[in-house]
Amino acid sequence: MKPVISLNFIDYMILSAYVLITIIVGYSLKKYMKTSEDFFLSGRSLPSWITSLAFLSANLGALEVIGMVANSAKYGILTVHFYWIGAIPAMIFLGLFMMPFYYSTRVRSVPEYLKHRYNEATRGLNALSFAIMTLLMSGISMYAMALLFELMLGWSLTSSILLSALVVLIYVFFGGLSSSIYNEVIQFFLIWLGLLPVVYIGLHAVGGFQGLVAKIPPDFLNAWRQMGSASQNPMGVDWLGMVLGLGFVLSFGYWTTDFLVVQRAMASENLSAARRTPLIASFPKMLVPIIVVIPGLLAVALLPQFKVVPGGPTPDYNSALILMFAHYLPNGILGLAITGLLASFMSGMAGNVTAFNTVWTYDIYGSYIKKNMPDEHYLKMGKYATVFGVLFSIGTAYIVRSFPNLMDYMQLIFTFFNAPLFATFLLGMFWKKTTPWAGFWGLLLGILAAATHYLLYQLHVLHYSSEMAANFYQAWWAWCVDFVMTIIISLFTARKDEKELVGLVYGLTPKVHSEERFFKRPAFWGGLSIAVMIVLNIIFW
Amino acid sequence: MENTEQRRHFFDLKIPLGSLLGFYGIVLLAYGIFGPKDIYDKSFHMDINIVWGILLIVISGAFLLSAYLGRKARK
Repeated sequence: MKPVISLNFIDYMILSAYVLITIIVGYSLKKYMKTSEDFFLSGRSLPSWITSLAFLSANLGALEVIGMVANSAKYGILTVHFYWIGAIPAMIFLGLFMMPFYYSTRVRSVPEYLKHRYNEATRGLNALSFAIMTLLMSGISMYAMALLFELMLGWSLTSSILLSALVVLIYVFFGGLSSSIYNEVIQFFLIWLGLLPVVYIGLHAVGGFQGLVAKIPPDFLNAWRQMGSASQNPMGVDWLGMVLGLGFVLSFGYWTTDFLVVQRAMASENLSAARRTPLIASFPKMLVPIIVVIPGLLAVALLPQFKVVPGGPTPDYNSALILMFAHYLPNGILGLAITGLLASFMSGMAGNVTAFNTVWTYDIYGSYIKKNMPDEHYLKMGKYATVFGVLFSIGTAYIVRSFPNLMDYMQLIFTFFNAPLFATFLLGMFWKKTTPWAGFWGLLLGILAAATHYLLYQLHVLHYSSEMAANFYQAWWAWCVDFVMTIIISLFTARKDEKELVGLVYGLTPKVHSEERFFKRPAFWGGLSIAVMIVLNIIFW
Repeated sequence: MENTEQRRHFFDLKIPLGSLLGFYGIVLLAYGIFGPKDIYDKSFHMDINIVWGILLIVISGAFLLSAYLGRKARK
């Protein structure tokens, strides 16, 4: 098949300049990497505008961008739920209520918090599942990206994989988390500046917002109006499943406990900056639909292959964004758009790699394999972990190439671990009577509950109107099982001494009083963010 | 480690970021002015490269200026 897009020398010049600058930034940070905290936590020295853009960018991987444009072409405006109800409340909760426990206790990772609050077993379970899942996901997104580039640009699978993996390896190897974060900020701007032209030209082509509204199906236009029952909207999800599954469990599970994002906030220069990180990030997060939802809607309005005809073939939604590029972007700006996509891919991958090397070094290697070594040893281990983390991701990419179905399973299995984890954290942070072994068993039973639910759905014992609905309710039930079982087991097992829990649990930790001016206070930003989110939901009701 | 005035974070990110965007702005602007014109049939005869090139130069200028002023203020 002939590639859809042909790049010329200007486009390649833009791409190469990007690759060059990421490597320069990474290399120039090399001399600051003296201790393991410099490498894994940026020496806890970054200002909040940098950490908050990185916080957002690490989540804005290429799979996310392409997948969400595809969702928008498939479901319409409903896709905004992934950005508003499905992210903002959780980000605010992290900033206002959970960050003090993560940051003030000086833990270096999410699993390490679990060790202090619960016990070694809980940490081990979380660290191991997180490390494995992170690398698998990084390999999967690398494969998906390379496949798209092969179809659209005619680049061979191997050269895309090796190029992106090598660049990420170089800059993370030299500069650790700082390098990943600095590049994520650059990537943040490139993603926006690269994707906005297609929105601009597309809206011009369709005749502005009025033209767009006239050309898309009417059930694509509202965020909530058709959520009364699952059969009324294209997603096949009712409002309860949306609020409980996505808005509460999946979103809180991801944004408040996934080390990939929490690590960025932990790199902040002080507690107040750490708390502001997710709060400031929530504002650009609310705007991401401009660059993902609008292109999806434009594809439906403008490109004939995305008009759904009853009985006709199902459109290949994942190609929506690239086909929009191919139709509307001339060379030059096209190179910038492809650079934006490549940047989003690298930011996602570097996020995975830095989270992996930290959890591996502190929570697996430093806790079970070689304890109490001098700090230089762990710094060196972090660099090795970066290398084999990248190699393992490449390996996964090739395995997925032979078994493409793995992709769908992995996405699902990831939610097995994330969804119940939030119950374990919620009880651990806000109920001092939660016992160490209740934490472990509750988490394990929650994971098993998710697996059981999945099995019952696959065997057609349970029925939902769509896969997405099944996924949302699965998250909800896994969370409930973890929550209830943790409470029950806590009543029968030995508690930790309260002195050991100071700083880790609400009620045993002295409150922090912010004496900064109002615009630096976390509560101000949190309140503002929730207000904007409510207004947006009303506008697009 | 002190709490308030910790070690200065590594280097000023606004400089590489501003330079990259500035480079892109100049390349796009030049290509928009001197490059072929028939490629703009796609974008409804709007020379998007010139428009975006100017935008990028403005953003780049803002980053570099703020980096320059920040450095001056510290001295």
